[in-house]
Amino acid sequence: MDCNDVKARIFSYVDGELGAEALAEMETHFTGCEGCSRLVDLELRFQAAYTRRLRPQLVPSQIREKLTRVLADLTAGTRARPRRALRKRVAVAAVAALFVAVGAGAALLAESVFRSRGSLVDLAEAAVEQHQRLTRDVLPPDIHGVSPKIAEDWFRKRLNFNISLPDLPSERLKFRGGRIWHLNGVETAALGYEVEGSDVSLFIVPGEAYRKLGLKEPPRFRLVTSRGYDVIVWRSQVNGVGYALVSEIGGRACVVCHSPEEIHESAATLSAHR
Amino acid sequence: MTEPSDFERLVLEQLDSLWNYALNLTRRSDQAQDLLQDALARGFERFELFDRSLSFKAWMFTIIRHIHVDHLRKSDALRPETPEWLAEGAAEISESPLYAIPLDPEAILAHRESVERLQEAIRHLPAEMREVIELRDIEGLSYREIAVIVKRPMGTVMSRLYRGRNLLRSSLVEQKPEDKSAESHRGL
Repeated sequence: MDCNDVKARIFSYVDGELGAEALAEMETHFTGCEGCSRLVDLELRFQAAYTRRLRPQLVPSQIREKLTRVLADLTAGTRARPRRALRKRVAVAAVAALFVAVGAGAALLAESVFRSRGSLVDLAEAAVEQHQRLTRDVLPPDIHGVSPKIAEDWFRKRLNFNISLPDLPSERLKFRGGRIWHLNGVETAALGYEVEGSDVSLFIVPGEAYRKLGLKEPPRFRLVTSRGYDVIVWRSQVNGVGYALVSEIGGRACVVCHSPEEIHESAATLSAHR
Repeated sequence: MTEPSDFERLVLEQLDSLWNYALNLTRRSDQAQDLLQDALARGFERFELFDRSLSFKAWMFTIIRHIHVDHLRKSDALRPETPEWLAEGAAEISESPLYAIPLDPEAILAHRESVERLQEAIRHLPAEMREVIELRDIEGLSYREIAVIVKRPMGTVMSRLYRGRNLLRSSLVEQKPEDKSAESHRGL
């Protein structure tokens, strides 16, 4: 091993990355070469003076708190999931019946609600993930503190598809705000609501996103449970725009798009038809 | 009160490092938060698959980088293409580490530069070199762990490290204008 070989390996040497054989060769060379010996001594001094004193920056305390909360929710969510999932299935069945009656289309719910995993489930999972981010304030809203009408105008200026935000006066419902959500590279609208003190998110997705997700059939109306949340997915037959409603409160979340009277009447109609 | 899970405990131990890596990749605090949250969710889901031949930190870095590259590819409206240095198929650095002779660090030691100035100089390195230097010199990862994270051969990692360190030293020994000015006032 000559001086050039040693110089070429000097970083590996001080980083402790050399194998036993190469290490022995280097140290043999150092004993007989004052120049290389001095060079490695300088490298070790450099490491001690600078490199070993480099430390990652501390996470800002606010962000640390958020991340710690997210982490706790993640792990707690898994522990609590089995019991909650059973309760949610019952709630989802009720929501399914309700939406059929409300007029999302009487013939739309012929397919099984709990179907094997597919792209629609992926969409539901993506919506749930986004819902979690929105409700944990990890993703702050782009627009908030305004009426749904103003938010609608805001979105229409920024999205390349037409959206209509439901604007139903109800004491049970509060519009919190919204933001642009990139789903598979397509811009969609993510809207946050508070319904009876619970978080509800509504995602409005253009037909382009459905195509990118590889959804072969037009999902007119489907119900999915994902990570303990109820996700109702439906699609307008007029313009192909899709919707995903994520909540933990079952059919009560329907108040985002339907008045309480409509929901009440629909439930009664459904009951009479049974 | 329940005991924190192994995953939770390991993340909290490494939170500063995970945050720094996410921030270094995205360069924006809000995006780093999104990225790290996604990575925590994915890491938690796949914790059973944790490759114990890597450190937990290196495993999480791999996830963070993978999600970041994936995000860049998907958000093509904002970024037309993934930066070359992040792409898995990026061209190899042609020069061998064997030809990268380290710059003598004596001049820097003589300058008595501050660690803060070194950190600042690292931030100005080309991205592919900065990433490797940060992973090695700040996070203390092995060459093999870095190679797994950046999905490049060890030789490329070593080459980037050598070139990055030399570039870093060059920038540190360059005299600042005020130094020159002070010298001229002293008649040097």
